[in-house]
Amino acid sequence: MATLEDLSKAVINGNVAKAKKLTQELVDAGVAPLDIINQGLIAGMNVVGVRFKNGEMFVPEVMVAAKAMSQGIEMVKPLIAETDMPSEGKVLLGTVKGDLHDIGKNLVGIMLESRGFTVIDIGIDKSPEDFVNAIKEHQPDIMGMSALLTTTMLHMKDTIELMKEEGLGHVKAIVGGAPISQDFADEVGADGYAPDAASAVDLCKSLLSK
Amino acid sequence: METFNTTRSNFTRASFEVNQTIFWQMLSDDQCEEIFMTVQELLERTGVEILNEEAREIFEKAGCWVDGTRVRIPSPLTEWAARTAPSRVTLCDRNGKRALRVETTYSYFGPGQGNSFVLDPHTGERRKPVKDDVAATAVVCDALKNIDFVLSNGYPTDVKEAAADLHVFEALVANTTKPIIQYIPSVKHAQAILDMAVAVAGSLRELQKNPFFVYLIDADGTLVHSDETLAKVIFAAKNGIPFIYHTKLVLGETAPVTPAGTLVVALADVLVGVLLSQLVRQGTPVIAGGIFTVRDEENNMLPWGAPEVSLVGTGMSNLLRYLRIPSFGFAGASDSKISDAQMGLEEAFSMLHMGLSGTNLIQGCGLLESGLTGSLVMLVIGDEIIGMIRKIIKGIEVNEERLARGVIDAVQPGGTYLGEEHTLKYFRKEFWWPTLMNRNRIKDWTEAGSKSLGQRATEKTQSILQTHQPEKLSDDVLAKLREIIEKAEAAL
Repeated sequence: MATLEDLSKAVINGNVAKAKKLTQELVDAGVAPLDIINQGLIAGMNVVGVRFKNGEMFVPEVMVAAKAMSQGIEMVKPLIAETDMPSEGKVLLGTVKGDLHDIGKNLVGIMLESRGFTVIDIGIDKSPEDFVNAIKEHQPDIMGMSALLTTTMLHMKDTIELMKEEGLGHVKAIVGGAPISQDFADEVGADGYAPDAASAVDLCKSLLSK
Repeated sequence: METFNTTRSNFTRASFEVNQTIFWQMLSDDQCEEIFMTVQELLERTGVEILNEEAREIFEKAGCWVDGTRVRIPSPLTEWAARTAPSRVTLCDRNGKRALRVETTYSYFGPGQGNSFVLDPHTGERRKPVKDDVAATAVVCDALKNIDFVLSNGYPTDVKEAAADLHVFEALVANTTKPIIQYIPSVKHAQAILDMAVAVAGSLRELQKNPFFVYLIDADGTLVHSDETLAKVIFAAKNGIPFIYHTKLVLGETAPVTPAGTLVVALADVLVGVLLSQLVRQGTPVIAGGIFTVRDEENNMLPWGAPEVSLVGTGMSNLLRYLRIPSFGFAGASDSKISDAQMGLEEAFSMLHMGLSGTNLIQGCGLLESGLTGSLVMLVIGDEIIGMIRKIIKGIEVNEERLARGVIDAVQPGGTYLGEEHTLKYFRKEFWWPTLMNRNRIKDWTEAGSKSLGQRATEKTQSILQTHQPEKLSDDVLAKLREIIEKAEAAL
């Protein structure tokens, strides 16, 4: 019979078909849906996160593992009341105005979701107004901005300033992307910066535990 | 799985030609033939000086014209030698396991020899080599994935000079299982080294079946073959031990100034060794090759990092490939004195070309200062270069699954391939993974000490020397080796 450990392994190995099959078997066997998520799917992804951070696994492997996990979650989700869905916190993500790059942002989203965060992804080319409106609508704990270009990263400052003007200063602002550094993050008044997707998860956890 | 399946065609292409690997054939078959015909004419008309009496008798009996020490070789005999010599030699590891296919265009790399100095891997000091340096070379080569065989990388000066090559062989065979290329100064040395190899292999028969070393015999150059050189060839052939017949020519000095003319002399000389070995024992495994350079008139030096070294070396490899004779070449050396940009440039440039030309055994990796100084750090960098070269030589595989039609369609324009199973399946093996080249972001690189390639390679070399444990020889075999050396030292 399928075990939660088997399911974790299927996620770690990035075997999407097997993860779906095992999830169905566990559901049919009457295992509690929350256990399937926490002790099977997310447990596997936690291992992936640690290995990614240690340089033992790489982005393509993480992406496929995340796909296995999220397809499993999609199957179990209808069986759980929405309020019972576990969440570490809500994070809103977007790429700044004038910038169409989203691979890094998507990866951060996947890593956050896989570690139990609820992620709202508003997409690419988002102006400060777009960010502020989305924050008002979704009420996240954290908002993250992504930029790949040195020309577009300057919009991060505008967004953070507009957030404060609109009284949304309680939402933590984090920034990331290839040209971003800790110095730049400090300069634009962000609450945090992470150099890669795995560190972004740690950053969000530490910001919310404060 | 839906994104991974490609749409498999029901049609099959006929006569689909594939370049699975890149092969740099600089000389066409017609050009090779032209050179080979010239060589035959040269050997028949001018002939060569044969200073060994036994060899002259063998040549005369085979139909050569002998006048004093001048031997003129009829063309059919030269052609017979090239055809009779084996097209392939398998070199084994110390345990007799088949290791290197010295054939067609398989390329293998290793260090050099004949250097009078080494750079100390710990202090960087330039000093005379000692026996421990040879042992260290074996340990480092044993640990490096892309180094396929070993040579001394320095002549030990802390042992009895006349027996230095025996100490080299002992230090190499005791510290690596990889095949050994062993230089022999005389027949006496060849006999002692054979005795040592037999002690390791168990018997001469086992050694002949699965040879883990080859003799390196240096030809004397410019159509003269000395008494001792040919005695070594006869010895190797009689004992059925593979040997390398290796010439060294300087364009415009010991050979014609033109590369084509130099190749004529080089091929004529190595074919004399090949012919003699086949007349002594038909089927004797022989590997031929040469090292070529120009005179640097400004410094009165013979450079080993010059482009001509690779150019003429490639011509020689093409010729030997045309004749189906396994080849020995030279690359991975530099005229620089230290670990610097010139070193890396000349090292990589020469190894890429000799690799692309499909030279079978390529010696010389890690030689600085025009071959005078051996550097293990440079050898470690060479290991990384070889990895990159092998990635290039492998070429691009084109087949249904690698064409990725289905995945391209599934991802759609503007999408990413990062999360696809197709990517997952291939990204590790389709990409080359560096072990020394640094691709850190500047913050990580700075935090790790802002180290140059030279510093990182030095650290890796020292770490190998401190931690790598090559497979040991039994105490019994080691004792036998000591005994053979002591006996030989008394006689030499």
